[in-house]
Formats: sequence, C-alpha cells, structure tokens
Amino acid sequence: MQKRKIRVLLSKLGLDGHDRGVANVAMALRDAGMEVIYLGRHVFPDQVAEIAIQEDVDIIGISSLADAHMTLVPRLIDSLKSKGSDIPVILGGFIQPEDIPRLKEMGVAEVFGIGSKLNDIVSHIDKMSSIS
Amino acid sequence: MFNQKGLNELGDAVREWEKKNQEQFKTERKLFATESGIPIKKIYTPLDLAEKGFDYLKDVGLPGEYPYLRGNSPVGYRGKLWGITAYGGKGTPEESNALWKAQVAAGADTISVAYDLPSQLGLDPDNSKAEGEVARVGISMVSRKDWEVAWEGIDFNKIGVYQVFNAPAIFGLANHITLAEERGIGVAELRGMQQNDVLKEYMARGNYIFPPGPSIRLAGDILHYVGKNMPRYQAITVCGVHQSERGANNIHELALMMANAAAYLQAAVDRGVDADSIAPGIMFFPAVDHYVFFEEIAKFRAMRRMWAKIMKERFKAKKPESLQCRIYTAEGGMGLHKEQYLNNVGRIGLATLAAALSGVELIDTRSYDEQFGIPTTEAQVNAISTQNVVAYETGVDSTVDPLGGSYFVESLTSETEERAWKVVEEIDNQGGIVKCIETGYVQRMIAKDAYEWQKRFESGEIKRVGVNIFQNSGGEIEKPMRIYRSDPAIEKLRVEAVVEVKKRRDNARVKKCLDELTALAREAPSANNNLVPAVIDAARAYATVGEVSDALRKAWGEFTEPSIF
Repeated sequence: MQKRKIRVLLSKLGLDGHDRGVANVAMALRDAGMEVIYLGRHVFPDQVAEIAIQEDVDIIGISSLADAHMTLVPRLIDSLKSKGSDIPVILGGFIQPEDIPRLKEMGVAEVFGIGSKLNDIVSHIDKMSSIS
Repeated sequence: MFNQKGLNELGDAVREWEKKNQEQFKTERKLFATESGIPIKKIYTPLDLAEKGFDYLKDVGLPGEYPYLRGNSPVGYRGKLWGITAYGGKGTPEESNALWKAQVAAGADTISVAYDLPSQLGLDPDNSKAEGEVARVGISMVSRKDWEVAWEGIDFNKIGVYQVFNAPAIFGLANHITLAEERGIGVAELRGMQQNDVLKEYMARGNYIFPPGPSIRLAGDILHYVGKNMPRYQAITVCGVHQSERGANNIHELALMMANAAAYLQAAVDRGVDADSIAPGIMFFPAVDHYVFFEEIAKFRAMRRMWAKIMKERFKAKKPESLQCRIYTAEGGMGLHKEQYLNNVGRIGLATLAAALSGVELIDTRSYDEQFGIPTTEAQVNAISTQNVVAYETGVDSTVDPLGGSYFVESLTSETEERAWKVVEEIDNQGGIVKCIETGYVQRMIAKDAYEWQKRFESGEIKRVGVNIFQNSGGEIEKPMRIYRSDPAIEKLRVEAVVEVKKRRDNARVKKCLDELTALAREAPSANNNLVPAVIDAARAYATVGEVSDALRKAWGEFTEPSIF
C-alpha cells in the first residue's frame, strides 16, 4: 500500500501580512513531495484549528513576523485542545529568542527563526511526521 | 553620436584585445549577471550603445529635460540635497513623539510614520481582531486625539509628514489636514506625502481592506483632492520596495510600479479628472539595496525615462511635473542581517550611495539593528547620520548624474527598461493589473522570484558576509547593546484611550458624518464626488480609524486574497 503523503497546513495568523517566508516553505514542502494547504493572511486561531482538523493534517506551520505570536499561538493551541486535537504546531518567522522556551512550554513543537534554511524545515517536518 | 569609422576601428581594437587576452579571460571566477539574470560583460564600449541605435540627445538628454533620465532638476544636488528620512514609529503617540523629535534633531526633514497593524487595517484597538497586535510594530494612532499628542512640538511648516498608510490613507490625510488647521496652517501650505498605494498591498505587503476597485477609487480621491488644493503634497507614492522585499527581482519591481501608477491615473481619467491636474502629486517609492548596486542605478534611471514616456505618449500630459518621475527610495530590511550586525552600517552607506548616484529626491534608510526588532532610536539616528556622511563627505553631490554616459550604466539602463516594458506588456495581455491581482498572477510571479532567490542564497551562490561567508567561529550571534520591543501592556492603555475618546466626543455628530460617508461611497465615482471632505469632517469630529473604515466596509465589503498555489 502506498504511504499517504505528509499533509501540512500553513498559515499566517492575525493581521501580519509578511508572507515571503511561509510561501517559500510551502513551495519547498511541495517540492519535497508533501501536500500543503496554505490559508494565507488574516486568518484567526479558531479558523486554523477548525480547518486543520477538517483536513486531517499532520502538522500545522504558523508564520509570524509582527510580534503577535505570544497572544495568537497559545490561542491556536488552546483551540486545538478544546476540539480534542493534538496536531503538532511549528512556528516560523521573527521570534524573539526569549519567547522560545515559553512557546515550547505552551506546546509549540519547534521554532524556526529568520535565517532558517528550507532544507532544515523540510527534513524536520519529515522526521516529525514519521514519528507521529 | 558615433561615427562609423571610429566604431570600426574600435571594433578591430576590441577583437585584437580579446585575442591577446584569451588566457587571462579563463581566470574569471564565474559567469557574471545581474540578480534578475541580465548577463554582464567584461567591458562596455561605445559599440554596445551603437548596437542599440543609441541617440544621446533622445535617449539620455540633459538633466531637467525630457525624458528626465538624468534627473528632474537641472542642478541636481548642487542645488538642494536629497531629503533624508528613516521610517519609524513606536507604540504610543508619546513614544513616537520622542523618537520623531530625535530624528528631527539628527537632521531628518521628513518623518516617515510607521503605524501598527490594527491602524493599517482599519481596526480600533478595542476590536477583538486587534488583540495582541496593538502598538506592536508601530504607532497606534487612531483619532485626532492621538494626532495632537504624537505631533506636539513638531513644526509642520518645517517638517514633512510621510504616512505609510494605505487602505485607510484617506483618514491619515484628513487628520494631517485637521491638525494643521488647528495650528493655523492652511492645506495649501501643508507639506507631506501619503503612501496611499493599495495595489502593492495585494501584491506583496498584505495590508489591504477593500477590493481593488474601491481602493483605486480612494487613491484617486486623494490624488484629485491634493491636485486641487495641496501643491506641496504628494498624494501617493507608488511602491516597488514592498514587491522587492517580498522577493520580486528589480525588473519585475520596475514593471509593477509602472503598471500600478498607470492604473491609478487611468481610473482617475476615466472618471473625468484631467491627468495634468493630478500627475504632479505622484511620487514613486522603489527599493534601493546595496547588493544590486548598479542594477538599482539602472532601475532609477530607467524608471524616469519610462514614466516620462507613459505620461507623454499614453496620457498626453503637458506639464513638466506630470512627466517627471519623482523618486523616494527606501532600503529594505531584507538586505540587512543579524550576523555581524555592524556590517549593516556599511550596507546602509552603499545603498545610500547607489541612490545618490541616481539623483533621487528622497532616501529612507533602515538601521543596523533591523533584524533584531523595531529599531532603537540610536540605530535610527545612525541611519540618518550614515546618509549625512554620503551627502556631506563624498562629493557625490558635485555633478549631476555622475554615471550618465557610462557605457556600462547606459547599456544596463536600456536593457532594464526593455525588459520591464515586456513585463508591462505581459500584464496588459493578461487583462491588466487588477485582473492580475485577482487571479494571483502577480503574486505568483513574485513568489517564484523569492523562492529562486532563497535557493540560490542557501546554496551559497549568493553570498553575505558574516552569514554564509566569513562567519564568526562557532557561529555565535553578537547582539546590539539594546533591542527595542514594544511593551505588551501598552495594548490595554490604547484600548482605554480609544474608549475614552468615544465617550467624550459628540457621538451624534460622528454618526452623522459616518452615515454620510457610507452613502457617498455607494455612489459611482465621478469627478464631483470626492470622499476626502467627508472624511475630514469625520476626523474633525474625532471619528476613529476603525469607524471610518467600517463606514466604507459597509459600502464596499472586504478583499479576500486568491490562492497563489
């Protein structure tokens, strides 16, 4: 039986418009043979959680470059939990280093800050999906 | 300008030189090309220009003369130096006021206002969609009350105000006018600029509210109002910097600026406005990055020639100011790095030099700590000082268009222009710029450029000192002494402030203003139904950015971005 492709949901969260990084990640994941559902901009935590569950994705990737992640990411994780989901969430973008331990405590699986390489993100997602 | 005999002799000499140096040529380290893929030759001579049928007077001409390739002013910086600014804004009106005063003291003559995201998206701080976002990336400036605090002690007679405000630009303009009026300054005297370019928001920056049709109409209202009443104001800056930051190569950036500017103008003409009455209010806002040094110079020169042609041939403009492409250029943060951050000072200086060599009107530099957060005041002051070093210490101001006539620069300028016209043509073939936004054509074009760039960067083909060459041993990142980050507690204060404003004003008057605005926005645009006066009335009554945007949302709805994959 053929293995199901890894399904990744990528999204911006809140009002931030910077989508260069997340679009690059989407293209790299596609090129690596994964399935990508990209929600785009101006999407809010409950919507992301709902669509992720509906689409049965393996991983959620959130992009944040406008410093609202400490408010919006915990809301996404809470929303997933309240819907009985444990889909792992990874975060990319402009994340101040002091936030990273706090985000991981809240349940963020991994953080890829600016300067991260596409290959590293792809292989990390590949590894996470083969474990889960 | 070249005689055939001289060209033949030169051709012989070049061939001879090439034959003689075959061995040396093999030592070249790589194929050289511009970032957008224009091959760069070893040398350029009159042969390269003659091959293209180069006509000095027609193609280059003189400064201050059509096609303005060499600049809009016949004296260049020998008269007035370029204007200096550095984009900035901090969470509260009070903090921003202190920052802007420091910039003025350092020599800035224009304040470039960075708003927070809720303001840019027409949401008041007390809107649930704004939670966690208020005052994070710029000033939360919501009503006339905030304007009074933010601009206290800053003289509008001396300092220009540039608002990086797009979807709700009309509200920013209205507040500037309202506050000036309070200070006894008439609209005709007021100096400033509005970004007011929503087309690039759909393409790259993401801060749109309304669909493209109404957005172009709003931009046109501002163009028309400014054209009639505000001779010292720029109604719009048609942007390229955001497409460039998003990843567009500089040919695409140039083409998109031209296509967007023409779209705004065409829409205004279609509703009965005379092109010559508004074109002087148009400014351009391209990127300048140190890593595409000569390409940027070629781009600035080409864009002046392209715009002059568009205005003359397509819009039949008569006034010289309508034909001139005024350039306000900004360095983007993408060219600056976290690793060995002090190297950024050199990068900022080189970007400034590229812009200065091109005779632009205004330069906006980023700061060395750009990659660590919202810039600190000292880094912003350093960015202004770096420009002053270029302005006062290099002699770049001593002659007009110092690179004009360089065989390389003229060749690259012509090649850049030719390639950009092809992209403009392709956009027209695809149904025009609005269609290209609605289908995602432009967004995909930019996304593809960005992805290609990223792969070349990660493979090491594109090099950055301290990042992928000459890195610190151990790879540690040294941080600046201070990093600025907006305090999350400010959000609560901003919510309280807007609630207070809404409590204290005459709410019946505000409602009347907003209802009138919605009704007016529902009418089909013509030469006689400009929304600016209605928004000025609303601003005078202390209406907020969220309320004015909601009044327009009622008439027009909101834009949803197309899927680009």
